Amino acid sequence: MDMQRKHKVIVFSTQNCPWCRRVKQYLRQNRIVFKDVDVSKNRSAAADMVRRTRQSGVPVVLIDNRPIVGFNKPMIDRLLGIK
Amino acid sequence: MMDIQFPKDNADLKDKDKEFDVIILGAGPAGLTSAIYTSRSLLKTLIIETGVIGGEAASTELIENYPGFPEGVSGMDLTDGMKMQSEKFGAKIIMTYTKEVNLKGNRKVVKTDDGVFSAKAIIIATGSSPRNLNIPGEEVFKGRGVSYCATCDAPFFKDRDIGVIGAGSSGIQESLYLLKFTKSIKIVEFLPHMTAEKILQERIKKYENVEFFLNHTLKSINGKQMVESITVEDRKVGTDSVLPVSGVFIYVGLRPNTKIFMGSLKLNENGFIIADENLRTSESGVFAAGDVREKTLRQVATAVGDGAVAAFSAKEYIEGKSSTD
Repeated sequence: MDMQRKHKVIVFSTQNCPWCRRVKQYLRQNRIVFKDVDVSKNRSAAADMVRRTRQSGVPVVLIDNRPIVGFNKPMIDRLLGIK
Repeated sequence: MMDIQFPKDNADLKDKDKEFDVIILGAGPAGLTSAIYTSRSLLKTLIIETGVIGGEAASTELIENYPGFPEGVSGMDLTDGMKMQSEKFGAKIIMTYTKEVNLKGNRKVVKTDDGVFSAKAIIIATGSSPRNLNIPGEEVFKGRGVSYCATCDAPFFKDRDIGVIGAGSSGIQESLYLLKFTKSIKIVEFLPHMTAEKILQERIKKYENVEFFLNHTLKSINGKQMVESITVEDRKVGTDSVLPVSGVFIYVGLRPNTKIFMGSLKLNENGFIIADENLRTSESGVFAAGDVREKTLRQVATAVGDGAVAAFSAKEYIEGKSSTD
Protein backbone atom coordinates (compact mmCIF):
# COMPACT_ATOMS: atom_id res chain seq x y z
CA MET A 1 0.00 0.00 0.00
CA ASP A 2 1.30 3.47 -0.85
CA MET A 3 1.78 6.03 1.85
CA GLN A 4 -1.24 8.32 2.06
CA ARG A 5 -0.68 11.92 1.06
CA LYS A 6 -4.19 13.12 0.39
CA HIS A 7 -4.48 14.86 3.76
CA LYS A 8 -2.12 17.45 5.20
CA VAL A 9 -1.11 16.05 8.58
CA ILE A 10 1.13 17.75 11.13
CA VAL A 11 2.00 16.24 14.53
CA PHE A 12 3.14 18.66 17.22
CA SER A 13 5.16 16.75 19.79
CA THR A 14 7.94 16.92 22.36
CA GLN A 15 10.84 14.53 22.79
CA ASN A 16 9.88 12.81 26.03
CA CYS A 17 6.15 12.50 25.50
CA PRO A 18 4.89 8.89 25.43
CA TRP A 19 1.53 9.74 23.85
CA CYS A 20 3.30 11.70 21.07
CA ARG A 21 5.28 8.60 20.27
CA ARG A 22 2.10 6.52 20.33
CA VAL A 23 0.26 8.79 17.90
CA LYS A 24 3.19 8.88 15.47
CA GLN A 25 3.49 5.11 15.64
CA TYR A 26 -0.21 4.80 14.85
CA LEU A 27 0.06 7.09 11.84
CA ARG A 28 3.09 5.22 10.52
CA GLN A 29 1.32 1.89 11.04
CA ASN A 30 -1.49 3.21 8.87
CA ARG A 31 0.94 4.58 6.29
CA ILE A 32 -0.04 8.20 6.79
CA VAL A 33 2.58 10.75 5.75
CA PHE A 34 2.92 13.50 8.34
CA LYS A 35 5.17 16.38 9.29
CA ASP A 36 6.62 16.04 12.79
CA VAL A 37 7.17 19.33 14.61
CA ASP A 38 9.16 19.04 17.84
CA VAL A 39 8.02 22.05 19.83
CA SER A 40 10.62 21.46 22.54
CA LYS A 41 13.40 22.40 20.12
CA ASN A 42 12.43 26.00 19.54
CA ARG A 43 10.13 28.52 21.10
CA SER A 44 8.72 29.78 17.83
CA ALA A 45 7.41 26.32 16.99
CA ALA A 46 5.70 26.15 20.39
CA ALA A 47 4.25 29.62 19.93
CA ASP A 48 3.11 28.71 16.42
CA MET A 49 1.36 25.63 17.76
CA VAL A 50 -0.43 27.61 20.48
CA ARG A 51 -1.52 30.20 17.89
CA ARG A 52 -2.79 27.62 15.39
CA THR A 53 -4.40 25.17 17.79
CA ARG A 54 -5.02 27.13 21.01
CA GLN A 55 -3.42 24.24 22.86
CA SER A 56 -0.45 24.19 25.22
CA GLY A 57 -0.15 20.44 25.56
CA VAL A 58 1.05 17.72 23.25
CA PRO A 59 0.41 15.71 21.20
CA VAL A 60 -1.77 17.77 18.89
CA VAL A 61 -2.46 16.40 15.42
CA LEU A 62 -3.43 18.93 12.80
CA ILE A 63 -5.38 17.22 10.02
CA ASP A 64 -6.17 19.61 7.16
CA ASN A 65 -5.86 22.45 9.71
CA ARG A 66 -8.24 20.83 12.17
CA PRO A 67 -6.57 20.27 15.56
CA ILE A 68 -7.08 16.97 17.38
CA VAL A 69 -5.92 16.91 20.97
CA GLY A 70 -4.14 13.84 22.34
CA PHE A 71 -4.33 10.36 20.86
CA ASN A 72 -7.98 10.59 19.90
CA LYS A 73 -8.10 7.47 17.75
CA PRO A 74 -11.78 7.62 16.71
CA MET A 75 -11.40 11.22 15.52
CA ILE A 76 -8.11 10.54 13.71
CA ASP A 77 -9.67 7.48 12.05
CA ARG A 78 -12.67 9.48 10.93
CA LEU A 79 -10.75 12.43 9.49
CA LEU A 80 -8.21 10.22 7.72
CA GLY A 81 -10.62 7.52 6.64
CA ILE A 82 -8.77 4.79 8.59
CA LYS A 83 -10.85 1.65 8.95
CA MET B 1 15.77 8.85 22.66
CA MET B 2 15.76 5.46 21.09
CA ASP B 3 13.15 4.75 18.50
CA ILE B 4 11.65 1.45 19.52
CA GLN B 5 10.14 -1.03 17.12
CA PHE B 6 6.44 -1.38 17.50
CA PRO B 7 4.65 -4.55 16.46
CA LYS B 8 3.50 -4.86 12.92
CA ASP B 9 -0.07 -4.12 12.01
CA ASN B 10 -2.22 -5.94 14.57
CA ALA B 11 -4.42 -7.23 11.76
CA ASP B 12 -1.60 -9.60 10.79
CA LEU B 13 -2.59 -11.89 13.67
CA LYS B 14 -4.18 -15.13 12.49
CA ASP B 15 -6.79 -17.01 14.51
CA LYS B 16 -4.33 -19.63 15.73
CA ASP B 17 -2.18 -16.79 17.00
CA LYS B 18 -4.94 -15.67 19.29
CA GLU B 19 -4.61 -18.43 21.88
CA PHE B 20 -2.00 -17.98 24.58
CA ASP B 21 -0.87 -19.46 27.85
CA VAL B 22 -0.82 -16.05 29.52
CA ILE B 23 -2.31 -12.72 28.55
CA ILE B 24 -0.92 -9.70 30.37
CA LEU B 25 -3.05 -6.58 30.31
CA GLY B 26 -0.81 -3.52 30.43
CA ALA B 27 2.76 -2.85 29.27
CA GLY B 28 4.06 -0.81 32.20
CA PRO B 29 6.90 -2.02 34.44
CA ALA B 30 4.69 -4.65 36.17
CA GLY B 31 3.30 -6.11 32.94
CA LEU B 32 6.63 -6.09 31.11
CA THR B 33 8.38 -7.78 34.04
CA SER B 34 5.64 -10.43 34.18
CA ALA B 35 6.22 -11.04 30.48
CA ILE B 36 9.97 -11.50 30.96
CA TYR B 37 9.29 -14.16 33.59
CA THR B 38 6.44 -15.99 31.82
CA SER B 39 8.36 -16.01 28.52
CA ARG B 40 11.42 -17.45 30.21
CA SER B 41 9.12 -20.16 31.58
CA LEU B 42 8.33 -20.83 27.92
CA LEU B 43 4.72 -19.82 28.35
CA LYS B 44 3.23 -18.34 25.20
CA THR B 45 2.71 -14.76 26.31
CA LEU B 46 0.72 -11.85 24.90
CA ILE B 47 0.79 -8.31 26.28
CA ILE B 48 -2.14 -6.10 25.35
CA GLU B 49 -1.56 -2.36 25.80
CA THR B 50 -4.28 0.21 25.27
CA GLY B 51 -2.20 3.30 25.96
CA VAL B 52 1.55 3.64 25.82
CA ILE B 53 4.46 1.26 26.36
CA GLY B 54 5.90 1.93 29.79
CA GLY B 55 2.67 3.30 31.26
CA GLU B 56 2.89 6.17 33.72
CA ALA B 57 6.59 5.43 34.31
CA ALA B 58 7.33 6.32 30.67
CA SER B 59 6.30 9.93 31.28
CA THR B 60 8.61 10.33 34.26
CA GLU B 61 11.54 12.45 33.18
CA LEU B 62 14.03 11.05 35.69
CA ILE B 63 13.70 8.01 37.95
CA GLU B 64 16.32 8.26 40.68
CA ASN B 65 15.26 5.50 43.07
CA TYR B 66 15.28 2.49 40.77
CA PRO B 67 18.30 0.39 41.72
CA GLY B 68 21.15 -0.01 39.27
CA PHE B 69 21.11 3.52 37.86
CA PRO B 70 23.22 5.73 40.15
CA GLU B 71 22.71 8.77 37.91
CA GLY B 72 19.00 8.09 37.46
CA VAL B 73 17.32 6.90 34.30
CA SER B 74 14.57 8.36 32.12
CA GLY B 75 11.29 6.49 32.47
CA MET B 76 11.10 6.05 28.73
CA ASP B 77 14.58 4.54 28.43
CA LEU B 78 14.00 2.22 31.38
CA THR B 79 10.68 0.90 30.08
CA ASP B 80 11.97 0.65 26.48
CA GLY B 81 14.63 -1.68 27.86
CA MET B 82 12.00 -3.75 29.70
CA LYS B 83 9.99 -4.01 26.50
CA MET B 84 12.97 -5.22 24.48
CA GLN B 85 13.87 -7.69 27.22
CA SER B 86 10.36 -9.20 27.23
CA GLU B 87 10.31 -9.49 23.43
CA LYS B 88 13.78 -11.02 23.40
CA PHE B 89 12.38 -13.96 25.35
CA GLY B 90 9.39 -14.31 23.06
CA ALA B 91 6.56 -12.18 24.44
CA LYS B 92 4.29 -10.61 21.84
CA ILE B 93 2.94 -7.10 22.34
CA ILE B 94 -0.09 -5.64 20.62
CA MET B 95 -1.36 -2.11 20.91
CA THR B 96 -5.13 -2.15 20.91
CA TYR B 97 -8.16 -1.15 22.92
CA THR B 98 -9.52 -3.76 25.34
CA LYS B 99 -13.29 -3.68 25.23
CA GLU B 100 -14.35 -6.55 27.46
CA VAL B 101 -12.93 -9.41 29.51
CA ASN B 102 -14.40 -12.72 30.63
CA LEU B 103 -12.33 -13.92 33.56
CA LYS B 104 -14.40 -16.92 34.56
CA GLY B 105 -13.67 -20.52 33.70
CA ASN B 106 -10.60 -22.31 32.37
CA ARG B 107 -10.22 -20.16 29.29
CA LYS B 108 -10.00 -16.43 29.96
CA VAL B 109 -11.20 -14.25 27.08
CA VAL B 110 -10.18 -10.71 26.13
CA LYS B 111 -12.14 -8.85 23.46
CA THR B 112 -10.26 -6.04 21.74
CA ASP B 113 -10.60 -3.78 18.71
CA ASP B 114 -8.27 -6.23 16.93
CA GLY B 115 -10.04 -9.44 17.71
CA VAL B 116 -10.66 -11.87 20.53
CA PHE B 117 -7.76 -13.42 22.45
CA SER B 118 -7.79 -16.16 25.06
CA ALA B 119 -5.41 -17.64 27.61
CA LYS B 120 -5.19 -20.07 30.51
CA ALA B 121 -4.22 -17.29 32.90
CA ILE B 122 -4.44 -13.50 32.97
CA ILE B 123 -2.19 -11.00 34.69
CA ILE B 124 -3.80 -7.62 35.16
CA ALA B 125 -1.22 -4.84 35.15
CA THR B 126 -3.32 -1.99 33.80
CA GLY B 127 -1.87 0.45 36.29
CA SER B 128 -3.40 3.72 37.31
CA SER B 129 -3.87 7.17 35.83
CA PRO B 130 -3.43 10.63 37.31
CA ARG B 131 -6.40 11.50 39.46
CA ASN B 132 -8.50 14.49 38.46
CA LEU B 133 -9.54 17.10 41.01
CA ASN B 134 -12.94 17.72 39.40
CA ILE B 135 -12.87 21.42 40.18
CA PRO B 136 -14.16 24.27 37.99
CA GLY B 137 -11.82 24.97 35.09
CA GLU B 138 -9.91 21.68 35.20
CA GLU B 139 -11.68 19.99 32.30
CA VAL B 140 -12.16 23.07 30.15
CA PHE B 141 -8.47 24.10 30.37
CA LYS B 142 -7.02 20.63 29.78
CA GLY B 143 -4.33 21.19 27.16
CA ARG B 144 -4.85 24.95 27.54
CA GLY B 145 -2.67 25.31 30.59
CA VAL B 146 -3.77 22.29 32.62
CA SER B 147 -1.41 19.32 32.28
CA TYR B 148 -0.66 16.02 34.00
CA CYS B 149 2.64 15.45 32.17
CA ALA B 150 5.57 17.77 32.86
CA THR B 151 7.96 15.94 30.52
CA CYS B 152 5.43 16.39 27.69
CA ASP B 153 4.30 19.96 28.16
CA ALA B 154 7.06 21.82 30.07
CA PRO B 155 8.45 23.56 26.93
CA PHE B 156 5.22 25.57 26.62
CA PHE B 157 5.85 27.25 29.94
CA LYS B 158 9.32 28.65 29.37
CA ASP B 159 9.82 31.78 31.52
CA ARG B 160 6.25 31.58 32.78
CA ASP B 161 4.78 31.45 36.29
CA ILE B 162 3.03 28.15 36.94
CA GLY B 163 1.28 26.22 39.70
CA VAL B 164 1.95 22.63 40.73
CA ILE B 165 -0.81 20.93 42.69
CA GLY B 166 0.34 18.25 45.13
CA ALA B 167 3.55 18.09 47.18
CA GLY B 168 3.98 14.33 47.12
CA SER B 169 6.99 12.74 45.44
CA SER B 170 5.50 13.08 41.94
CA GLY B 171 4.61 16.75 42.41
CA ILE B 172 8.03 17.71 43.79
CA GLN B 173 10.05 15.56 41.36
CA GLU B 174 8.20 17.07 38.41
CA SER B 175 8.51 20.58 39.89
CA LEU B 176 12.28 20.13 39.94
CA TYR B 177 12.12 19.31 36.22
CA LEU B 178 9.73 22.18 35.45
CA LEU B 179 12.13 24.63 37.14
CA LYS B 180 14.48 24.12 34.19
CA PHE B 181 11.89 25.95 32.10
CA THR B 182 9.64 28.12 34.23
CA LYS B 183 10.19 31.49 35.87
CA SER B 184 8.51 30.47 39.12
CA ILE B 185 6.39 27.75 40.68
CA LYS B 186 3.64 28.00 43.26
CA ILE B 187 3.19 24.62 44.94
CA VAL B 188 -0.25 24.02 46.39
CA GLU B 189 -0.73 21.20 48.91
CA PHE B 190 -3.91 20.24 50.74
CA LEU B 191 -2.03 18.87 53.76
CA PRO B 192 -0.08 21.17 56.13
CA HIS B 193 3.18 19.53 55.02
CA MET B 194 4.87 18.00 52.00
CA THR B 195 4.71 14.22 51.68
CA ALA B 196 7.49 13.84 49.09
CA GLU B 197 10.64 11.85 49.79
CA LYS B 198 12.78 13.90 52.20
CA ILE B 199 15.64 14.26 49.69
CA LEU B 200 13.23 15.90 47.22
CA GLN B 201 11.89 18.24 49.92
CA GLU B 202 15.41 19.40 50.73
CA ARG B 203 16.15 20.06 47.07
CA ILE B 204 13.01 22.05 46.30
CA LYS B 205 13.43 24.25 49.40
CA LYS B 206 16.67 25.62 47.95
CA TYR B 207 14.87 27.40 45.11
CA GLU B 208 14.01 31.03 45.75
CA ASN B 209 11.50 31.07 42.91
CA VAL B 210 9.35 28.36 44.52
CA GLU B 211 6.54 29.49 46.80
CA PHE B 212 4.62 27.03 49.00
CA PHE B 213 0.90 27.15 49.70
CA LEU B 214 0.64 24.31 52.22
CA ASN B 215 -2.69 23.58 53.89
CA HIS B 216 -4.40 25.13 50.86
CA THR B 217 -7.16 23.78 48.64
CA LEU B 218 -7.27 24.47 44.93
CA LYS B 219 -10.78 25.77 44.32
CA SER B 220 -10.77 26.72 40.66
CA ILE B 221 -8.67 27.25 37.56
CA ASN B 222 -9.51 30.50 35.84
CA GLY B 223 -9.02 32.19 32.48
CA LYS B 224 -10.59 33.10 29.18
CA GLN B 225 -9.06 31.00 26.38
CA MET B 226 -6.03 29.81 28.34
CA VAL B 227 -5.25 29.51 32.06
CA GLU B 228 -4.65 32.90 33.69
CA SER B 229 -4.90 32.19 37.41
CA ILE B 230 -5.86 29.75 40.15
CA THR B 231 -7.96 30.35 43.22
CA VAL B 232 -6.74 28.72 46.42
CA GLU B 233 -8.26 28.65 49.88
CA ASP B 234 -6.21 28.82 53.05
CA ARG B 235 -7.72 25.94 55.04
CA LYS B 236 -6.72 27.40 58.39
CA VAL B 237 -8.33 30.83 58.07
CA GLY B 238 -10.75 30.11 55.22
CA THR B 239 -9.68 33.00 52.97
CA ASP B 240 -9.29 32.78 49.19
CA SER B 241 -6.36 34.06 47.14
CA VAL B 242 -6.08 34.39 43.39
CA LEU B 243 -2.61 33.48 42.11
CA PRO B 244 -1.66 34.53 38.58
CA VAL B 245 -0.27 31.51 36.68
CA SER B 246 -0.33 30.45 33.04
CA GLY B 247 -0.05 26.73 33.67
CA VAL B 248 -1.19 24.18 36.25
CA PHE B 249 0.39 20.75 36.62
CA ILE B 250 -1.69 18.37 38.71
CA TYR B 251 -0.19 15.53 40.80
CA VAL B 252 -2.80 14.57 43.36
CA GLY B 253 -2.61 10.82 43.33
CA LEU B 254 -3.79 8.00 41.16
CA ARG B 255 -6.99 6.29 40.14
CA PRO B 256 -6.90 2.63 39.12
CA ASN B 257 -7.61 1.52 35.58
CA THR B 258 -10.12 -1.12 36.65
CA LYS B 259 -13.39 -0.05 35.05
CA ILE B 260 -13.69 -3.17 32.87
CA PHE B 261 -13.13 -5.46 35.87
CA MET B 262 -15.95 -4.03 37.98
CA GLY B 263 -18.37 -6.80 38.85
CA SER B 264 -15.95 -9.59 37.95
CA LEU B 265 -13.16 -9.03 40.51
CA LYS B 266 -13.04 -7.98 44.14
CA LEU B 267 -11.96 -4.34 44.30
CA ASN B 268 -11.43 -2.11 47.32
CA GLU B 269 -13.46 1.03 48.00
CA ASN B 270 -11.17 3.09 45.75
CA GLY B 271 -11.37 0.61 42.89
CA PHE B 272 -7.96 -1.04 43.31
CA ILE B 273 -7.84 -4.83 42.82
CA ILE B 274 -7.50 -6.86 46.00
CA ALA B 275 -4.90 -9.63 45.69
CA ASP B 276 -3.21 -11.94 48.18
CA GLU B 277 0.54 -12.17 48.80
CA ASN B 278 0.91 -14.41 45.73
CA LEU B 279 -1.04 -11.78 43.79
CA ARG B 280 -4.02 -14.05 43.21
CA THR B 281 -7.27 -12.12 42.79
CA SER B 282 -10.77 -13.21 43.72
CA GLU B 283 -11.01 -15.11 40.42
CA SER B 284 -9.00 -18.28 39.91
CA GLY B 285 -6.31 -17.92 37.23
CA VAL B 286 -6.41 -14.12 37.38
CA PHE B 287 -3.51 -12.26 38.96
CA ALA B 288 -2.86 -8.56 39.60
CA ALA B 289 0.46 -6.73 39.57
CA GLY B 290 1.69 -3.17 40.00
CA ASP B 291 -0.16 0.08 40.60
CA VAL B 292 -3.56 -1.45 39.80
CA ARG B 293 -3.70 -3.44 43.02
CA GLU B 294 -4.30 -2.40 46.57
CA LYS B 295 -0.87 -1.73 48.11
CA THR B 296 0.94 0.86 50.17
CA LEU B 297 3.75 1.97 47.85
CA ARG B 298 3.39 2.51 44.11
CA GLN B 299 6.84 2.70 42.57
CA VAL B 300 8.65 1.13 39.61
CA ALA B 301 10.67 -0.88 42.14
CA THR B 302 7.53 -2.38 43.69
CA ALA B 303 5.84 -2.88 40.30
CA VAL B 304 8.64 -5.06 38.95
CA GLY B 305 8.58 -7.15 42.13
CA ASP B 306 4.85 -7.65 41.64
CA GLY B 307 5.43 -8.57 38.01
CA ALA B 308 7.81 -11.36 38.94
CA VAL B 309 5.53 -12.74 41.66
CA ALA B 310 2.41 -12.64 39.48
CA ALA B 311 4.26 -14.44 36.67
CA PHE B 312 5.45 -17.13 39.06
CA SER B 313 1.93 -17.60 40.43
CA ALA B 314 0.48 -17.76 36.91
CA LYS B 315 3.02 -20.42 35.97
CA GLU B 316 2.20 -22.45 39.08
CA TYR B 317 -1.50 -22.13 38.31
CA ILE B 318 -1.09 -23.24 34.69
CA GLU B 319 1.14 -26.18 35.60
CA GLY B 320 -1.23 -27.29 38.36
CA LYS B 321 -4.16 -26.89 36.08
CA SER B 322 -2.52 -28.74 33.19
CA SER B 323 -1.86 -31.74 35.41
CA THR B 324 -5.50 -31.92 36.46
CA ASP B 325 -7.04 -31.06 33.06
